[in-house]
Order: sequence, then structure tokens, then C-alpha cells
Amino acid sequence: MNTTYRFAMTFLMLGALTAALHAANWTEGMKEGKPEFKSMGPLAFGPEGILLVADTKAAAITAIATDDTAPVKNAKALKIEGINQKIAGLLGTSADQLLINDMVVNPISRNAYLAISRGRGPDAVPVLVRVKAGGELEAVSLNKVKFSRGELPDAPVDGVVGQGNRQSNPRQESITDIAFLEDRVLIAGLSNEEFASTLRAIPFPFKTVGSGTSVEIYHGAHGKFETRAPVRTFVPFKVGNQPSLLAAYTCTPLVQFPISDLQPGAKIKGKTVAELGNRNRPLDMIVYQKDGKDYLLLANSSRGVMKISTDNIENAEKIEAPVGGGGTKGQTYETIARWTGVDQLDRLDAQNALVVRRGEGNSLNLESMPLP
Amino acid sequence: MGWLAIFSPIHAAENSNFSIRWVTNSNQSIVEAAGFDTNTLRQFQSTNWQAADWQKLLSVYVGQDDLPADMSAPPMLGSYRVEANSIYFQPQFPLQRAVTYRAIFRPSRLLGANNSAADLVARFQLPPTRQKPTTVVTRVYPTADVLPENLLKFYVHFSAPMQGGHIYDHIRLRNEAGKLVELPFLEIDEEFWNPEMTRLTLFIDPGRIKRGVQPLEEIGPALETGKHYTLEIDSAWHDNAGLPLHEGFTKSFRVGPPDREPPAPATWKITAPEAGTRVPLAVEFTEPMDAALALRVIRVANSAGALVEGERALSDREQHWRFTPHASWKAGGYQLQVQNTIEDLAGNNIGKAFEVDLSEGVQRRFTNGVVKLPFDVQ
Repeated sequence: MNTTYRFAMTFLMLGALTAALHAANWTEGMKEGKPEFKSMGPLAFGPEGILLVADTKAAAITAIATDDTAPVKNAKALKIEGINQKIAGLLGTSADQLLINDMVVNPISRNAYLAISRGRGPDAVPVLVRVKAGGELEAVSLNKVKFSRGELPDAPVDGVVGQGNRQSNPRQESITDIAFLEDRVLIAGLSNEEFASTLRAIPFPFKTVGSGTSVEIYHGAHGKFETRAPVRTFVPFKVGNQPSLLAAYTCTPLVQFPISDLQPGAKIKGKTVAELGNRNRPLDMIVYQKDGKDYLLLANSSRGVMKISTDNIENAEKIEAPVGGGGTKGQTYETIARWTGVDQLDRLDAQNALVVRRGEGNSLNLESMPLP
Repeated sequence: MGWLAIFSPIHAAENSNFSIRWVTNSNQSIVEAAGFDTNTLRQFQSTNWQAADWQKLLSVYVGQDDLPADMSAPPMLGSYRVEANSIYFQPQFPLQRAVTYRAIFRPSRLLGANNSAADLVARFQLPPTRQKPTTVVTRVYPTADVLPENLLKFYVHFSAPMQGGHIYDHIRLRNEAGKLVELPFLEIDEEFWNPEMTRLTLFIDPGRIKRGVQPLEEIGPALETGKHYTLEIDSAWHDNAGLPLHEGFTKSFRVGPPDREPPAPATWKITAPEAGTRVPLAVEFTEPMDAALALRVIRVANSAGALVEGERALSDREQHWRFTPHASWKAGGYQLQVQNTIEDLAGNNIGKAFEVDLSEGVQRRFTNGVVKLPFDVQ
């Protein structure tokens, strides 16, 4: 997910010296070898073609220097029908035994990368697949790459549950989204036991000592009731002058909170800036520019894709009173009806997005679509 | 076609010696293409062919040959080697049962552009498993028959590892009229399994239980006090061996009023065992607690603060917790340590309800901490 474009531009201008110093050593701490993965979930690109891969089962993020850095400004239009069947063919399995966990586009080369699960059981094999500009698919060989690994801090170590012998810890935190921001990797997670949503920030390049910031995410529904809230997807975004995150919770609203709120142990509440209606299960969100304005594009499992305006978002009132009768308050949005069945979404280039969407039968298609 | 030039022309009479077959040994199925003369084999060994080059000569595909999808299927990943008088292809990943694999050997690629030697095809399929379905749902927590209206989650336990992906196709909640409750669960791609995939956590969609949230106002709560519901798991769900469940599972329950009270360990009843025995420490909660958390975040420590090793268990609708030490109890002071992340069935934590009503003005502080309840063993 290319969530850093706008930020990168802003921060490079404001902090040119710092950025220049950082730019020299984004691969600091990386070794050459074969990274181990127990699973591959959310993906995100960092600077210089460095791909960040979240591994929920290993509770770690792996950064891979892909060396896929030949710049392309405008990507070729792409349509691969039945990409799930084709990847299944490549990996020697049937399409129903293949899961596409995430898809991101390298903002430099415009090549798409997919996190694949070959198999659907506990012994599923994670595979990274790259789609080259001509539509050719290849499994990215990870036998000899430059990589580094960041372990998630505060992963619980307790879990000796009875039976004498030490059993594996049943508690797991599913990583639902990651993004690179400035000098950190942001990670949203949901536990499979306690009902808790966390947002962690770990410094990048990864340091050996786990020194992450972890905050709890709360949802203030209409200012009255406050509960812990599951974050599904988020993007960094500048609201006015304030670097912020825009997060889509699983229970409907779009919220905004300043990055400066990410203090250790903090409780982040977020200002609701849009109510997106019922049956909203956000999947993926990107920021893009059209006619000089910023928009959010939010893929939703049941309501298609929503194009949300960011006009005046810095002055958006907190949505306090219940919004009834199907009305909406906060940022305006429109549903893009022709974008049906979108499972994965990322920016392809300045004019286009790349999506994975459901096609005929059980096919999933990878195709480029002009940004609405 | 430049690479064809490295091979000396092969006499047409030798075409009939080409063959292709699948070979299985020690659980691996590989493809063997044979019939080359020694010159050709020597040339193979001295080339620096990449996978794409080998694939022109010998490649393997998943599926039948007639479907349009298969016409554009990419060749399977694997490794090629030259050994004895043959070329071998070994798939990179284990073959899947009951799937047809089609190996194609194209000797015409060796014989020059004009040769019309036919491709040789060998199909292979691992037999479907002879096993019968045996996996079942062993238990669903909470086990109580009456659940609060603001129930937060279910845990579904299976007798063997399962397959994930599209799991919500197999899980349904039905109301007392037999109609399906629409989208009661939090359905996101990241499914909440334990690492072995024998336990699944199902969260009721928080938007369907929280007050003052728009979805609730539009489509109503998932559960309503006084009504009956049935949770259904259907048997079409495949386990990791690819077999359906031996049978489906249902849990019927009635819904009671919402629970908005945080658990209060001070009200729990602790029955201390006698010294010198291994009789379990018994703790009676005032309400059923979340099964996974009750088994994980409650510990027993001795007077020195060291954790006592033993087995924890729940019973009586997860209202009764007991701890059996590995070694006999020594007389002295102990502590029951409870992390305040423990939840009751509605997700209320110690000191903090799931929903905090800010209009009440009572700011409930939530600290990451441990509640310690002392008890004596005599």
C-alpha cells in the first residue's frame, strides 16, 4: 500500500538534512541470506524498494531490499484474469488451496507484489509473488537477499497452559495493516483472545532491542460511549499541518488522530470524521490526488469502493450526535458503483489504482483501473 | 531459437527412444524424461540453463488440458537436474492429492525447427485420501446456556487442525424463527486461529453490540434479550487433511440481559487446599469468565513471589477455576494473581467495563496491572 507518498514529499522538504542522512543507510543492519517466514500477511513498501512483510505467526516484520529500483513513471495498463489460478499453477496447487493475503505496488518500479498462502492449514507455505510490467508472474526467490527483521515488542510470553509440557501459546495477535512512515513501521494488530486493538510503531532500520511504542485504540461512539476498537486499515495523512493517521475501524467510522498521540502506553481515541453507514467492513484504503485535491479510496467488502473527500478535514467536527436515517455526517463520500468485488487495492501510479477483484466463478483478477 | 544450435542434430530413428514418466520414491513424485544420447546429455550438463530454458523442453502443469484456464497456465516451479541418462524435474512444493499434474516433454525442441516430433505427455495424480472424516467440533465456549446480550465472542475448538480462508461460509447464527441473523460476526480476512488451527475465536461484530453506533441503529443488535438462538457450524468445512467434518455442530442458547459490570475479584470465593496435599486450589467466580483468558492470565505465586507450577482447569460453565500444583502444597502465604486484561463474557475488564459511559462523569482508570488476592495454605 503506498501510503507514504504524500508524507515523503512533505518531510523531505521540511527535514531535508535528516532525510538525506537517513537515505544513506536504509539497509543498515541488513544481512544477506534467506529470511524465514511462518506466514506472510500485510505488505508495505518502505523507501528505496524495501518491502516490509508482516508475519503474524512469527510476530515479526521482515524488511527485504528487493533491488527492484528501476523507476517507472507511468505504469502500463494491466489485466490478468484468474491470477489466483495462475499463481496456483505456478505453485503446483489447485486455486481453492491458494489465498492472496495482500497486494502492494512498488512505487518506484510499479511492479506488484502479492503475499500468498499456498495451502490453508497450519502448514501453509508463504510465498512472495511478483507481477512484472508485462504481466509475467514470478515467485520471488528469497534464497539470497538482503534483509532484516523487527520483532514485535510486548508479544506476550506467558502461555504455559496446563498439561505439564510447555504447549505453544494459543494467543496470537493478527497484524491487520502496516505502513512505513518517516523512520518507523506502524503496525495495527488484533488479538485472538482479549478484545484489544493496538497500534505499534517500531523504528526502522530495525534495532535489535525491542523499543516499540504501543498504544491502545479506542472508539468514542458519538462522544458518549467509549470502547476498544478494532482497526482494520489505516493510512498516514496530513490533516492541516498535523501529521496524522486516518484509520478505518471495523465498526464503521473513519477516525483521525495525530501521530504525536503515539506516546508509549497511550490510549488513542481518534476523532470520528466520517460515518460510512452500516454493513461497512473496510478492507483497504489509499490516499490519492485528483485535480489537485486529496481523496481517500476505501475498499469495502460489501459496499464496493468509496471515494471520500478530505476537503476541510482539519476542521471536521467530531461526529457527536447519532447519525440516523441513513444520513451521513462528516466527510462526504460517493460509492463508485463500477468497482465491484474489490478485495485488494493499491495505487499503481498517479492516474491509476491496481486492484484484485472477484471475477467469474472463483476467479480473482488483477487489473489496473483509473483512479475515480 | 539460438540455443537450439548447441545441440548436434539427432537422427530421426532415435526419436522413438524418448520417454517421459512420473516416478515416485520415498514420498516424492518427480518427472523423468529419458532417451537422450550421450552427446546431448553432456551438452545439458555443460549449459547454464535457467528454469525458463528447461521449461521449453520439459514442463509440468496443474489441471486438465481442455479448459481455457489451463491453456494459459504457467509451468510449475521446480528444479531440474541431469542424472544418469535422464533429465529429472522435481516440483518445488509437495503435490496435492486428487489434482491432475500434466508433464510435457517436447523433444522437437532438440531436433531443429522443422522436426514434427510429437510432444510426450504423462499425467499423474496422487490418489485421494482413503481416510474418512473424523474431525469434529469438540467444544464451543462459553458453554453456558444463557449468554448476555452483549456477548463478545465464542471460541470454537476442533479435534484436529482445520483449513482457514472463507470460514464464515460455514458459520451461521439463527434466531428462534429459524432465520439467519445477518452478519453477526466480525468477518475480516485475518482469521483468529491459534497456531495449530485447532481453535478459532469468533468475535460478535462490535458494531452490533455497542450502543450509540450507527450500524446498531440501522440493522439492530445481533442478540436480543429473552430470545433464543442457535450457532451452527456446518460439516462442509474442511480440516487440514482436506476432509469435511464428521458432523456439524450446533449450540442453542437463550440471551439474558446485557452485562455492564466489570468483574470484581474481591468477590470471588477462594477455597484454599491443605498443606502437604495436591488438592486443587478452587476459585469460584461470580459469573462465567472468558475461557481462554481465565486459563492464561490467572496465576498462583508463593510468598516469595515465585510462580507455582501446575495445571489450570475450568468447569461449571467457566465459573469454576481450579489449579492443581505439580508438587504438594507447602504451608504458607500465597497469592492468586489476576491480570486485569481478563474479560467476562461481555468483554468487561477488571476496573473497566467494555463500554465506559463518559456521560456518567465517573472516570474509571484503566491501568495495566495485576490484582493480587492472598490466601493461606495450612
